[in-house]
Amino acid sequence: MNLIRRLSIPLLVVACTAVPVWWAFPDGLSLARSLGIVLGWAGCGLLLASLFLMLRETWLAPWLGGLERMYHWHHRIGVAAYLLLLAHPLALAADAWMDSPQLAWQILFPAPQLWPIWLGWLALFLLMLGLAATFAQRLAYRSWRRLHFVLGIGVLCGLLHLFLLGIDGPVLPLLALCVLLLGWRLLGEDSARTARPYLVRAAVHVTDDVLEIALSPLARPIAASAGQFVLVAFFSGAGFRGCGEFHPFTVSAVDADGDLRIAVKALGDCTRRMQLIAPGVPARVHGPFGSFLADRPVARQLWLAGGIGITPFLALLRSSRLVQPTTLLYLYRSTADAAFVDELQALAAADPKLALYTLATGDEAPNLELLLAEAGALVTGQECYFCGPPGMLAAARRTLLKRGTSPRQIHFESFGFR
Amino acid sequence: MQRLYVGATVAFWLFVAAFWSSTYWRPEVPLPAVAVRERQVSPVELARHATPEDCWMAIRGSVYDVSPYLPEHPSRPELVLPWCGREASQAYATKNKGRAHSERADELLAQYRIGSLVAD
Repeated sequence: MNLIRRLSIPLLVVACTAVPVWWAFPDGLSLARSLGIVLGWAGCGLLLASLFLMLRETWLAPWLGGLERMYHWHHRIGVAAYLLLLAHPLALAADAWMDSPQLAWQILFPAPQLWPIWLGWLALFLLMLGLAATFAQRLAYRSWRRLHFVLGIGVLCGLLHLFLLGIDGPVLPLLALCVLLLGWRLLGEDSARTARPYLVRAAVHVTDDVLEIALSPLARPIAASAGQFVLVAFFSGAGFRGCGEFHPFTVSAVDADGDLRIAVKALGDCTRRMQLIAPGVPARVHGPFGSFLADRPVARQLWLAGGIGITPFLALLRSSRLVQPTTLLYLYRSTADAAFVDELQALAAADPKLALYTLATGDEAPNLELLLAEAGALVTGQECYFCGPPGMLAAARRTLLKRGTSPRQIHFESFGFR
Repeated sequence: MQRLYVGATVAFWLFVAAFWSSTYWRPEVPLPAVAVRERQVSPVELARHATPEDCWMAIRGSVYDVSPYLPEHPSRPELVLPWCGREASQAYATKNKGRAHSERADELLAQYRIGSLVAD
């Protein structure tokens, strides 16, 4: 990642925070009251940056280091904003507490008619609730997503709290910007208006719970390449009831006629329903995103795939012959889960640069050090590309770092989008 | 991140509880009175105190020297400053989109009373 892309998000965060803090920086007030004001404005700035990072625009994502990085920062900045906004009323109350505890309590919980203050409380409660839901990984995706939007309502309530306090100078443009960002995401991206229309051309089960779906474009096709991912939503049609939610899928093939193929593993309610998909079902596709496997150096390669994480490597092998000597270690739970193994073996037989190792690991975590040693992959100077479950990726990273591989030579694809 | 969220949220509510409990265990400290002596203020004299550094306002028959409070007022200065040196009862009663100031604001205002408004 080049320097501009590396610094783009930190610069965005600094700009979004520094401008409102600079505008509102108190002069001549007590330390606690000044701190309360600065914390409030810094929290607002961080929320604005966090909203900006939830956009799914193909032109924007490369500048900010990719969609996965954007979402990672979106989450961290959101939590940081929450922490500052929690401290905001406490600092204002602490200022009054020096004079009188009763006054401090009235500042925290004022008379009922002071509803601009209560709106601030509502904003804080919504942020509290929305963030609690964000951490609830076991929540069904649809419920999780709805609760996540509570955070957006919380942001708007917080800005209205400022506006009704009479601070409308910078708040009105901030409010307009936040409404624009939320509206763009909600009405433009989530409702599929900005996504490209596709139609399911074919659907083939490669294992019991993995379906490979071929999508034909109904308009200009998406220019995806091997290693990239797309966000796909399936809708109702051809006897199938789609859930209409966008889910990320790595492209498993980019065909010459513009068709895309994706492999869908039944992991949740929606992806389980997708296993019943049939040709003719309408779909919308956002993307492409990501740069995994792009700009690979000529050095020897180690590819490590776990389960459905085989798809980016499969897409690359399907698209062209290898230039670099490459070891592909493909791990799956059982032979029943071994998606695309026959095709991979055929590709390896036809390409002398590819050494393929496949293994059913069972339910226990595999001994990666042993497996990598057996595959002759515990060498330095190789470029390592991993795609699979987070636990496996972390273990492989630890093993290779211990054996002298540089962190810069390890590349991940993890799909931690929640 | 989850631990940070849970820890910060719990700490926040503990602080709120501490503020609440302090209203019981810490006796109320009498607030220092700003008004040092009662005086009769005419509209002409009132009008002489119309700057941010020396801002008097007449509200419901009393005159207040709100200069020390102005930097802490939550509204924008341009909303408040035009009322310096003037009779501001109506503005005080309809501060923001027609709503009155709170009882808390009334209590705060009382600290800045310096006299009564009299006719010329």
